[in-house]
Amino acid sequence: MALKPTQCARRSFLYRELENSGARFEELNGSAIAINYGDAEGETAQARKLGICDLSSLQRTGFKGWNMADWLRLQGVVLAEESNITSPQTDGTRVARLAPGEALVLGDYQGGGALIEKLDSTWSMESADGCYQVPRAETNFWLALTGTEAPALFTKICAVDLRDQATSVHSVVQTNVARLNAIIIRGGTAEVPVFDLLSDIASAVYLWRALLDAMGEFGGKPIGLKALQDLT
Amino acid sequence: MKQMQCPLNGWRNIQEFAHGGEVVDEPDPNRCTDAEWAEYIFMEDNKAGLVKEWWCHVATAYWFIAERDTVKDEIVRTYDPSELFKERRDYTRPEALEGKS
Amino acid sequence: MQRLSEPFGSLIDRSQSISFRFEGEQVSGYRGDTIASALLANGITTLSRSFKYHRPRGVLSMCGQDSNTMVHVGQKPNVLADRVMIEADLEVRAQNYWGSLENDRLAMIRHVSRFLPVGFYYKAFYKPRWGWPLWAKLIRRVAGLGTVDLTTPHGYYDKEYLFTDVTVIGAGPAGMTAALEAAKAGAKVLLIDENAKIGGTLGYARFDGDGQSGRKTLVDLVAEIANEKNIRVMTDTVCTGWYSDNWLPLIKDNRLYKLRAGSLVVATGCYEQPLIFHNNDLPGIMLGSAAQRLIRLYGVKPGNRAVVATANRDGYGVALDLLDAGAEVACVVDVRSNPPEDEMSSALMHRHVPVLVGSTLREAVPTPGGGGVRAVKIAHLESAERAARRYDSFACDTIAMSGSYAPAAALLHQAGGRVSLQDGSGGFSVHDLPAHIAAAGSVTGTQSLDYVLAEGQDAGRQAARDAGFEVMSASEPRRTEPKASAWPIISHAKGKDFVDFDEDLQTRDIENALTEGYQHIQLLKRFTTNGMGPSQGRHATLPAIRLAARRTGASLNETGSTTSRPPIGPLTMGHLAGRSFEPVRYTAMHFRHLERGAKMMPAGAWMRPEYYGDARNRLESIAAEARNVRENVGIIDVSTLGGLEIRGPDAAEFLNRMYTFAYLKQPVGRSRYVLMTDEAGVIVDDGVACRIHENYFYVTATTSGVDGVYRTMLWYNTQWRLKVDITHVSASYAGVNIAGPKSREVVDRVCDDVNLTPEEFPYMGVRRGHVAGIPALFLRVGFVGELGYELHVPASQGEALWDALIEAGADAGIRPFGVEAQRLLRLEKGHIIISQDTDGLTTPPEADMAWAISRKKPYYVGMRSVSIQEASGLTRKLVGFEIADPEITQPKECHLVIRGNTITGRVTSVVRSPTLGKVIGLAYVAPDQAELGNKIDIKVDGGEMVQAEVVKLPFYDPDGERQEM
Repeated sequence: MALKPTQCARRSFLYRELENSGARFEELNGSAIAINYGDAEGETAQARKLGICDLSSLQRTGFKGWNMADWLRLQGVVLAEESNITSPQTDGTRVARLAPGEALVLGDYQGGGALIEKLDSTWSMESADGCYQVPRAETNFWLALTGTEAPALFTKICAVDLRDQATSVHSVVQTNVARLNAIIIRGGTAEVPVFDLLSDIASAVYLWRALLDAMGEFGGKPIGLKALQDLT
Repeated sequence: MKQMQCPLNGWRNIQEFAHGGEVVDEPDPNRCTDAEWAEYIFMEDNKAGLVKEWWCHVATAYWFIAERDTVKDEIVRTYDPSELFKERRDYTRPEALEGKS
Repeated sequence: MQRLSEPFGSLIDRSQSISFRFEGEQVSGYRGDTIASALLANGITTLSRSFKYHRPRGVLSMCGQDSNTMVHVGQKPNVLADRVMIEADLEVRAQNYWGSLENDRLAMIRHVSRFLPVGFYYKAFYKPRWGWPLWAKLIRRVAGLGTVDLTTPHGYYDKEYLFTDVTVIGAGPAGMTAALEAAKAGAKVLLIDENAKIGGTLGYARFDGDGQSGRKTLVDLVAEIANEKNIRVMTDTVCTGWYSDNWLPLIKDNRLYKLRAGSLVVATGCYEQPLIFHNNDLPGIMLGSAAQRLIRLYGVKPGNRAVVATANRDGYGVALDLLDAGAEVACVVDVRSNPPEDEMSSALMHRHVPVLVGSTLREAVPTPGGGGVRAVKIAHLESAERAARRYDSFACDTIAMSGSYAPAAALLHQAGGRVSLQDGSGGFSVHDLPAHIAAAGSVTGTQSLDYVLAEGQDAGRQAARDAGFEVMSASEPRRTEPKASAWPIISHAKGKDFVDFDEDLQTRDIENALTEGYQHIQLLKRFTTNGMGPSQGRHATLPAIRLAARRTGASLNETGSTTSRPPIGPLTMGHLAGRSFEPVRYTAMHFRHLERGAKMMPAGAWMRPEYYGDARNRLESIAAEARNVRENVGIIDVSTLGGLEIRGPDAAEFLNRMYTFAYLKQPVGRSRYVLMTDEAGVIVDDGVACRIHENYFYVTATTSGVDGVYRTMLWYNTQWRLKVDITHVSASYAGVNIAGPKSREVVDRVCDDVNLTPEEFPYMGVRRGHVAGIPALFLRVGFVGELGYELHVPASQGEALWDALIEAGADAGIRPFGVEAQRLLRLEKGHIIISQDTDGLTTPPEADMAWAISRKKPYYVGMRSVSIQEASGLTRKLVGFEIADPEITQPKECHLVIRGNTITGRVTSVVRSPTLGKVIGLAYVAPDQAELGNKIDIKVDGGEMVQAEVVKLPFYDPDGERQEM
């Protein structure tokens, strides 16, 4: 029997939008994730052109404070010296340094998050003086915008230049997207970019609809997690 | 639209920033006169020339300082406030009240 | 009029015939035709009626630079017929007539034109005042442009950002060369042109005797650009202004582009200027360049017999083009008494066209009805300002004017550059360009093609260098002196010698304004409205400057020019509105509220349920929701509440500084009220601080205030440098307040790890545990004045929490309540709402909240200001009032409290309390009115005065027994 998002206590703020687009769900991290929309092959091609994928069910966390860098490194995390750069970890987790005293930790697209679980369970008020957990999984919804047309899509919603020559893989841009504060992380490959987009969880429905409207002219469509996994 | 270089995020449209007023030294609220306090609260220098101002990059809630030439309409320099605010600031009660209550 | 065969008509495709309607009549043209070229090809020369005198008007510039060709297309008014291309079944109508275009009944106005002097409106309708509305109706009917069709459906307009290294505006010879040069250096170049094809003058103008060099250059440059991958070309694109740091709005189709232009090359060219003589506005009188565009671009012969008037070399090229197109050229009139001989003038001589030197046009003779030209009268110039009385008459149906040029320098002006006009010669130059901007081509006054191309090259290199690319050093600037003369402006006794075609201004109107003292160019413009029409002075400003200079004896540069401001060209509201972004925030339970029929209301960017149920039963619903809280149990979504986590060894110290109360000794597991003032001592926010750990407070803030509170906190700590971290978690937690006598029993059903007994979990306590398996922070708070729990859970599980509580409370009669019921309940408890019961000046003592101020600490933000105010005495105080008599009119918020002739305060909140059965409210009053039992007078709608009594707060459950049970 098909999984309904309401069978899980954790729910993406977008689940109704996904349902309306015909998503098929699977359970991941105690939450329903849109695995595909019924057209596996089409979605893989779509992902290469322009796809939008809700990743809100994937694991993520954050840490903040004047001792953030020391504490994370003590846990074996690789962290960039400079702000606005993402460092891939050996297990596929990515750690984006947002500021000298702030980091965002993103699990991989497979749903894994051993490092995140370890960090979250190791961290406590007592054990980490000057480094504080940020509930990123609850603060931000998470989308991936994929495909060769993604930079063109961004020109309709974001005033920062995200073309290839202006951003490189692993760079982070913290700016406004459609008038929302957002974190954009450039991933994927030089040929097929993938942009992770994290923004205010309460504005998820608004931004999802704004993005679908903006991507219409490029033929952009929702894609499931499977198509994103195949792409990367 | 003007651009400004955020010390954390680089060049951005001025729309991404919020203005926070002039950088002014706070007089010791427990020792200054009423007039000095009122001057601090209500008056801005509004200089023609080089001014030092607070600006905030809204998306990252990052405060920094910009030096701006208001005559040439040029942003001369932006930098992290730790250049100016190096030490912890503490307040003490007026001597007259110490020991009471 | 007839169509010419190839190679004339480079923009039209003769294989595709297109028919459309003009004024209801079927007209046909070719793909690539503009509305105007197609109409002209069909012999239709009158396209509109003028603004004031309703004179017939036809093609003037043929490139969208004048208002003569403004037509209605479909539901769109003021479309430029010489720019917009025809499409099948286009419905085109002329504008600004009454009756028919050919026979405009309002054209009789021209016979009363001497009663319509300049400044007419200012003078005629000033008195009597009551007359204006009547006049306004009439004037708006007879003057004005197209009409707005209010039934027009919404269009889909869009916006897009663009980025590039180098931008070139204008794809004429200079712009194309500049773009190529910058691209070769490695820069990404955006080349923008407002026309359908790139090429500019190369596509239509004549640079030599045989007319070949322009076209050859065009073919070469177009091919080079097509092969240059660093160049992106945008045609049909208008740049409407210049903004700081080379930020340019571009309009193309239904899209507004916001371009960060990198370094900028302005190669916008110039505007050919009409000549001033009697009847200079008749259809058939057009700019020389317009005649050339008709011939070369659209394959339309402008007329059969033309007179060409010129003050420069270009008029000779126009005459040659007219001859090539098969028109007869009656003569060329050159104002210069001794024009230099060159390739083109000798070519013309070989074709036996008479050239009348040192002469000027005095008047055009209209055809009967005024719809065209029959002849032109030409007189010898006795001096630069005087023509001989004797004239020669030449029959013609077309007059081509090549008088002089004005630079299309609006972008340069807006960027801070300056244009110098040369007296006498009609020449000009640009200078003082700011960094990262170069200008090239005829906008700088350069005319000869070789020099224009060289200038383009230099500008392209400079732009690439400015953008950080390595280039060869620029060559020396080369310039020619234009061997031209300014066309004389000699008033005609019969007037109708138009300076501004948009506004129907004649030379005498300008002269009269100068006589009246409006000699400053800015005043002259405002008084006469010269240059204020749709063509924005492209043709009218220069003659006005010349007339003013002549009157004052100043040079043209001393006379100055009017200020150029964006937008340069017309913009539709659709472009400005565009695809708009209006973020809206939904809580995790948003859709549950909708499913229950909630009427939603905005709270900042959030949507909140105002009440549940039908709008017709609004008050009943609110009262029922409130009653259910008092008697039973209610649940309200409080996810929109602000949330901040304050962590670190200095967390308590930080709160102690940010808020008025004392927090150092607040026990872990307890919450405490927080009240924030700004530096001036004004209340700006409130909430509660929950101490979760010695070094960890979870602080709530108001829905609309939290963003400011967060930013303010960061700003202070940037200066204080306390060991504290501030994290904004408003959206991270969904929250409900479940309140009412049965709330404990409902929560108890779904919670097994928090002891809810009052002994273990008292009022103002804070606990952590689970509700229906969802991790939650429990707060015992009393905003609505009943036993209640605020439950804060991870946002992603908020909907599940809601579902679990609604289910658990079903048999206890749980019912959601909205913001309105909550407002009512809190008012019964006398709790203030920041920014409803406080304003931009309210201090804690005024709001009767001195109890929330700690007197023992050395500092909180605003402390000094509050103590100054306390020492100097209050001027108002917030009090509770009630009106027990049900017959008395209920006051509304903001109704004034009045004593004698003085306003002493206002009502901030008021409601008829269903619980208490009387009207209760909060109001500011004078301090001496604040005593309990005092009577205050409130002026309600309609001026009636009602009396209320000052009473003790809270109105309901004064001892707090119900919330603390």
